[in-house]
Amino acid sequence: MVILHGVLRSRATRPFWLLREAGVAFRHVPVIQAYRLADPAAADAPHNTASPAFVALNPQAQIPVMQDGDLILTESMAIALYLARRYGGALGPQTPDEDGEALQWAFLAISAVEGPALDILYPYQFGTAATPEGTAKIAAATQALARPLARIEAHLQGRDWLMGGRFTVADICLAECLRYAQPHPPALAAYPAIRGWLARCQARPAFVAMMVERNAEPL
Amino acid sequence: MGARGPLPNAGRTVLWRETCINEASMITLYGTLRSRTTRVVWAAEELGLPYRREKVVFAASLPDPLAVDAPLNTASPAFLAINPMGQLPALQDGDLCIGESVAICLYLARKAGGPVGPQTLAEEGEILQWALLAASVVEPPAVEILYAFMQNRAETDEGAAVISAATVKLQRPFQRIEDHLAGTDWLVGGRFTVADVIMEETLRYAAAASGVFAAFPRLKAWFDRCQARPAFQAMWAARSAE
Repeated sequence: MVILHGVLRSRATRPFWLLREAGVAFRHVPVIQAYRLADPAAADAPHNTASPAFVALNPQAQIPVMQDGDLILTESMAIALYLARRYGGALGPQTPDEDGEALQWAFLAISAVEGPALDILYPYQFGTAATPEGTAKIAAATQALARPLARIEAHLQGRDWLMGGRFTVADICLAECLRYAQPHPPALAAYPAIRGWLARCQARPAFVAMMVERNAEPL
Repeated sequence: MGARGPLPNAGRTVLWRETCINEASMITLYGTLRSRTTRVVWAAEELGLPYRREKVVFAASLPDPLAVDAPLNTASPAFLAINPMGQLPALQDGDLCIGESVAICLYLARKAGGPVGPQTLAEEGEILQWALLAASVVEPPAVEILYAFMQNRAETDEGAAVISAATVKLQRPFQRIEDHLAGTDWLVGGRFTVADVIMEETLRYAAAASGVFAAFPRLKAWFDRCQARPAFQAMWAARSAE
């Protein structure tokens, strides 16, 4: 059985969403980020990314980690792409062309979207969005998103999903990066097709159920 | 499309083909070797895939990228039809047009199907893992180091601070690679694969900082093994000639 180590208040949402979409049974081992704990080494601290047992599994001390038999993988998007191909059926690429497309969207998400989207998320998360520094950071990130978002907006003209005319792992990878920009609506204001697509992604029962579980986790 | 001149021919490696038998069905790689195009060209050579390369230069390097006599560049409508992001490299293979250098390397590896690509789903997962680690954790700080040197800022206080901060960010992924290489010469499957191409080509951007690999002898030895490969050497010679 596939085992996912991590918590949902992390990039682990990507493989969790994928497995829920695929309807694959899996085991979830909660592992919280050490930096969120006052004393990760305390005797009564919850299992965390600095716990020796977890570091033995992933020396990089980051979540998520996936185990599938003897295979141990890190990197949330690598895990999602692997699981899609291994267990995802139509959620994964079905042809060599689709394989190329899925990879392109995943790497575009990582290289062009995730960084600026996080630069938007963090000021909101840490309550600094209204400070001069926070405002400047958000403005720069919104500007950095303009090129990838214009490219995605054009692609979504006449399409409901990124590839193959159906919901796939590519939608999960990109939607989960763009979610980080959603606290700042102006970042998406000029892109109605993206907003419509994101709403479709986030209306899916598997996403809704995953977010309920995520929001039930302690802050 | 644009004219292609001959490039240095190192052994069996041919980096630039003047003609081909069935051009319509042939893979085309768009770019200049003074860009992330290096990784897709090196990968295609290692994989033994026939391809042609269409030279595309950065629009920013031209006084007027939209002039009628401007060479094919990242602002040319003909190139934007291939990659609307206007970035290098890009790939065309039949009806498929994609950007993102790492995605192109992985696509080519799966297409070629030989030992440089994944042989099992588990290997595919491992290759994806190293590729994502390279793209998300290694490349951004490595590029900060590269730019500090390219822009002659490395000796300034500001540049030294940038290099120092980037070097700190690289410690964790470097240590992970160092530990992983304890029992193996290559990242995946005990043999050279596209994962090595992708990781070396992101690490290379950090190599300008002296001593960046000092605490990681196995990583440095692996880096040198990668660069000693004939296909890398041929790619590098062609790059240096551009």
